[in-house]
Amino acid sequence: MSRQATLIFEIKGNALDDGPGIRSVVFFKGCPLSCAWCHNPEGQNRQAEIIFDGEKCIGCDSCIEVCKQQALSRNLIGFLDRGKCDLCGDCLEQCPSGALAKCGMSLSVNEVCSRVEKDIPFYTASGGGVTLSGGEPAMYPEFAGEVAAKLRQRHVHVLLETAGFFDSAAFDRFLYPHLDAIYFDIKIMDPARHKELCGVDNKRILENFRNLFRRSKEGGVCVLPRVPLIPGMTATQENLEDIANLLKEVGADQVALLPYHPFWMGKLARLGRSGLPAMGGENLARLMTPDELAECRSPFGNMRIVGT
Amino acid sequence: MKNWVIRQLVPALLRLMAFQFNHRASLRKSLKSDQGWINFTIGFRTEDRAFQGGLSFLDGKVTAESFMLESPDTTMVFANEAVMLEMISHTPNEVLDMLMLNKIKLEGNFTYLNLFNFYLSTLLGGFHQRMEIKRRRRHKLQRKEVAKTENGPGEKSRTTTPERLHAPTIDPGVRYLKNPYLSDLGLTDFPRLQGFLSRHFSKRPEICPERSRLLTRWYKKNGFETDGQGNPWSPELRQGQAYKYLMENKEPIIRKDDLLAGTTTSKPVGVTIYPDAHGTMIWGELLSAPNRELNPYNISSETVEVLHKEVFPFWINRNFREWVRRRYDNPLCQKLDERFAVYFVWKTVGISHTIPDFPSLLALGTSGIIEKIHQAIVKANGDVTRVNPLRAMILAAEGLNAYADNLSKQATKDAQNELDTERQAQLRRLAEICRRVPKNPPRTLDEAVNAIWITWIGMHNENTNTGLSLGRLDTWLQPYFEQDMAACKTEKARDACIRKTVELVGCLFLACCDHVPLIPDIGNYLFGGSSSDQAITLGGVHADGTDAVCDMTYIFLKVTEMLGIRDPNVNARYKPGVSSDAYLQRLCEVNKITGATPSLHNDEAVLASISQHGYPLGEARDWSAIGCVEPTIPGKQFGHTGSMLISVVAAIEMALGNGTHPLMNWKVGPETGEEFDSFEEFVKAFEGQFSFLIDQAVAYNNMLANAHAAIRPTPLLSAMMDDCVEKAKDVVNGGARYNSSGVALIGLADVTDSLMAIKTLVFDQKKTTLREFQEAIQDNFQSHPKLLSLVKNKAPKFGSGNAEAKEMAERVARFAHEQLNAHRNYRGGPYTTGFWSMSNHVAFGTLAGALPSGRLRGKAFTPGLTPQPGASVNLLDNLRDVASLDPKNMDNNMAFNVKVVPGGADSHQQIVDRMAAYVKAYFSMGGMQMQMNMVSSETLRQAMADPDSYKQLLVRISGYNAYFTTLNRDMQIELIERSEYGI
Repeated sequence: MSRQATLIFEIKGNALDDGPGIRSVVFFKGCPLSCAWCHNPEGQNRQAEIIFDGEKCIGCDSCIEVCKQQALSRNLIGFLDRGKCDLCGDCLEQCPSGALAKCGMSLSVNEVCSRVEKDIPFYTASGGGVTLSGGEPAMYPEFAGEVAAKLRQRHVHVLLETAGFFDSAAFDRFLYPHLDAIYFDIKIMDPARHKELCGVDNKRILENFRNLFRRSKEGGVCVLPRVPLIPGMTATQENLEDIANLLKEVGADQVALLPYHPFWMGKLARLGRSGLPAMGGENLARLMTPDELAECRSPFGNMRIVGT
Repeated sequence: MKNWVIRQLVPALLRLMAFQFNHRASLRKSLKSDQGWINFTIGFRTEDRAFQGGLSFLDGKVTAESFMLESPDTTMVFANEAVMLEMISHTPNEVLDMLMLNKIKLEGNFTYLNLFNFYLSTLLGGFHQRMEIKRRRRHKLQRKEVAKTENGPGEKSRTTTPERLHAPTIDPGVRYLKNPYLSDLGLTDFPRLQGFLSRHFSKRPEICPERSRLLTRWYKKNGFETDGQGNPWSPELRQGQAYKYLMENKEPIIRKDDLLAGTTTSKPVGVTIYPDAHGTMIWGELLSAPNRELNPYNISSETVEVLHKEVFPFWINRNFREWVRRRYDNPLCQKLDERFAVYFVWKTVGISHTIPDFPSLLALGTSGIIEKIHQAIVKANGDVTRVNPLRAMILAAEGLNAYADNLSKQATKDAQNELDTERQAQLRRLAEICRRVPKNPPRTLDEAVNAIWITWIGMHNENTNTGLSLGRLDTWLQPYFEQDMAACKTEKARDACIRKTVELVGCLFLACCDHVPLIPDIGNYLFGGSSSDQAITLGGVHADGTDAVCDMTYIFLKVTEMLGIRDPNVNARYKPGVSSDAYLQRLCEVNKITGATPSLHNDEAVLASISQHGYPLGEARDWSAIGCVEPTIPGKQFGHTGSMLISVVAAIEMALGNGTHPLMNWKVGPETGEEFDSFEEFVKAFEGQFSFLIDQAVAYNNMLANAHAAIRPTPLLSAMMDDCVEKAKDVVNGGARYNSSGVALIGLADVTDSLMAIKTLVFDQKKTTLREFQEAIQDNFQSHPKLLSLVKNKAPKFGSGNAEAKEMAERVARFAHEQLNAHRNYRGGPYTTGFWSMSNHVAFGTLAGALPSGRLRGKAFTPGLTPQPGASVNLLDNLRDVASLDPKNMDNNMAFNVKVVPGGADSHQQIVDRMAAYVKAYFSMGGMQMQMNMVSSETLRQAMADPDSYKQLLVRISGYNAYFTTLNRDMQIELIERSEYGI
């Protein structure tokens, strides 16, 4: 079976919000969902991409001079015509400022591990570890599982952040046995709405969630349900009530609510993707107010809420 | 045409000046000292001698000349006529700035320039004041840079959290404190300390003439080089006698409400004047000091009169700098120092950096010490070279005793005039204490603390307040605390005793703030806002390796937390595997609350480092910090740990210039080549320049040491440094058991990054040439934006986690250590290698051009060996790289600044835990020292103008891949307001 390389688009150290303690986060490139509000849009596409940051550009034109496809021009909106670009990388080699950069590195399991193992003293001292995120790490169960297994041999705590749309057989075989914790996203309960806003049906996601959560109560890997709050999309009273009911049903006593932020929009431009989501409007351009956040908390009643 | 005008204008101005002085009685008076007319000549010329002129001050007559005078006492050499014009339109203070910027050179005796500035200042009168105000506005931006230096806690950086943690466990050495963190106590429980603290922040320092006036008077009467009979003085004996006279006549002052007796100067916050050192540098500012922008000093007209007439003229040739100039005929190494850009040799100011043997003082009292010295005199068998230094030590100790006696009498007098009965009792107690100590060994804590304080006053009246340090006060005072507590029979009494102890230590801290070092305006560049840097060292281990953390450790920490002042400079020793987590947590909590203190040291790494000098393990374990961070063996090692500060960057600049330093425009270094075929060849050139600078600095240090031996031996200090009595030698002559001179090397990160840029881009990848770098540097990269971008983004940096860059830093450190360790100082000891910078990374940065690292002209270097702020977005890369440096090459320690920004979403406990995790991990990887600077969100908002310095600021959003500085400005501000950023 021809397999595309597993690409990593960032390994971020000293992360303090992706699990307990001081952590390194490994961001996998590629995701089966295509949420309208995705705050890591560079993680959606599993292929390598070129990002262009106009603010870093010094206007030296070295890249334009070397491009054999003539895909770069200051007359183009977004500067790079990704249709013409064949990802040869010559412009990246020439660019002195890093304005043109490749998003998505091909790293081996060992390479990923050696990068994050450098910080083991910090994990030990803080009760931290490594978080697998992205994109969707569960799209690469063998690779992610090997990384997790190697790290746990070194006594590193491994946490998975997932949107839950994965093949449970492969997940259980390769990845689940090597995890210490799972942060599981529940976004939208209504299947049609989920399909509309996230690109896929949510049946598999909810099945996986129920399954994993049941097992967590039977001594398996602990699971924390997380809800990204997106105004007008996930953060409606109806949706949140439905989620609260689901959590009650499975017997969850805590939930993480992730307040919305607008900072991902800048990334779209750098990826050459224009056009903001039509829905949501001005609410999507700002942080949520404390009142709005309080409203989001209310459907969850007495549950322990983390994150807001 | 313009030059012609200037060449007419300047002589006209000189003639005008001469006229003013000859014909205005008030001005003419100032031409005289109490010994007669101050006669000297000052020359002025341009570098090319197109303009020459001078002023002669002779027997009350001032004459302007339009030719070069024969051997003027001092000459101002202007780079060109334009500079002369600049000088005319600037204030006398700015003339010194121009010196630093190498627009003006001085030949001859510096002191006369200061005197000339004083004359200018009197001539200009109120006009000078107005010029100062204008100048303040002009230099606003430059000053901001200086004020932003990162050495020590910032005044505005205290967090306002009321939360205090409780100690989870009790260390074995803590005998009495139930909650060592003393969380229930706060500053409001100590109104006395609150009063002192608010005065500390509001009181402006005032120049105090007391010490210099008394000493000068004595020298005039009894002679300096020779005594009344014309016989040459033994310098030690002379100092001993003069010092005794000083201390007998020093005004005994008990500060209102204080639990300690005595003051360093006669002013509430005094600026100490050491005219044998650099005191005369303030001569030109006597009238303008109250109006200068940075660190203004008050000065009374009486003090101006005293200093100008009675004091300074006596010392014109009798200070360390001028002594060397005469004796060694203005050697090259001195000339280099006086161009400011490559190194600063501290002995022009003093050799204090040391810790006296306080345990001996406490055990013996001065009478016990005097007895010891008497015995040594008997043993000396009439050998005058031994007897004189010993007699001097006795005289000095007797002077200290006399001062204590006077304090006792004063306390009694004050008590008689005191209406408040509680205060009366306190004063009577002080009278009692001063009758007893420091003559006799103290029996209680208040006697012990006063013994130390009075001795401390004595130390600073003998020797410049530059880095004299207090040592392991927690360990040394613990027995007295335990005695006091054992005498308490009830819980209530014990609680009261603990509070009293906290208050007493607080008084000691604040008393240490009663003086500031003299910093002439030019020094505001070099040492912006520095204090005396009286270091206290807490914790660590005993001689047998067991945990030394005790009740007093936590009491000192509590005082540090409550007061949040930068001096005394608190350092904490932590021994992995021995010191407790509770202790580490408390250290981090205090850091969080105060914003940047105490400085944290890894005992393991420091011991590994200093052990190369063969100290017995038990003594090495006693190590304490001096000044900023430097380790010495207290009471035994005369380490002058800040003897010189060298800009390593200068070696890069000179290597690129084949020996020519760009700012100085002087081919002073060896010829190390113009073209290089390989990177190794360039490194050789760099090393050649570097060892040249080291050799010169060492030479100057050794010459200045001889000046100290002639001008200012320090018998009081010698009486309290081990082996001086046995050897019958003053410390300046090598009397101490261990001798060394410590060096601070500045700019390691900038140098490493520059070398890496050259290696990577010129030699490895051949993307550019050295010639292109040289051109880019000439025009500050303005015409080379692509090269600048390449350097910033594609060349590996120290602190980025890149192994090659780290190895390069290691290489530079290793070379420095090899060079310095091979030199011997004038006392026979080694030079030790340090990587801290005080605030000289700003000064040297101002005087350095652009670098291959991408650093632009005039920008500050990084403090200590802290990596460039932009080296990595990940703080942990910094920590790992610094931790992995070999301690052997850093036997004079390092300073590593870690900027932390507490987030609003985390609890106090969470933040402290995280800080402790960073420190623990860093130490476990071998890191030697770390200084955390807590940044408040207010300063953060101001710092938005400087994103390069905040690259590591995280966006605290789970699962989100971004860094704070990649957001646009408005979003950053929003985030700050939401406190969504973090440590």
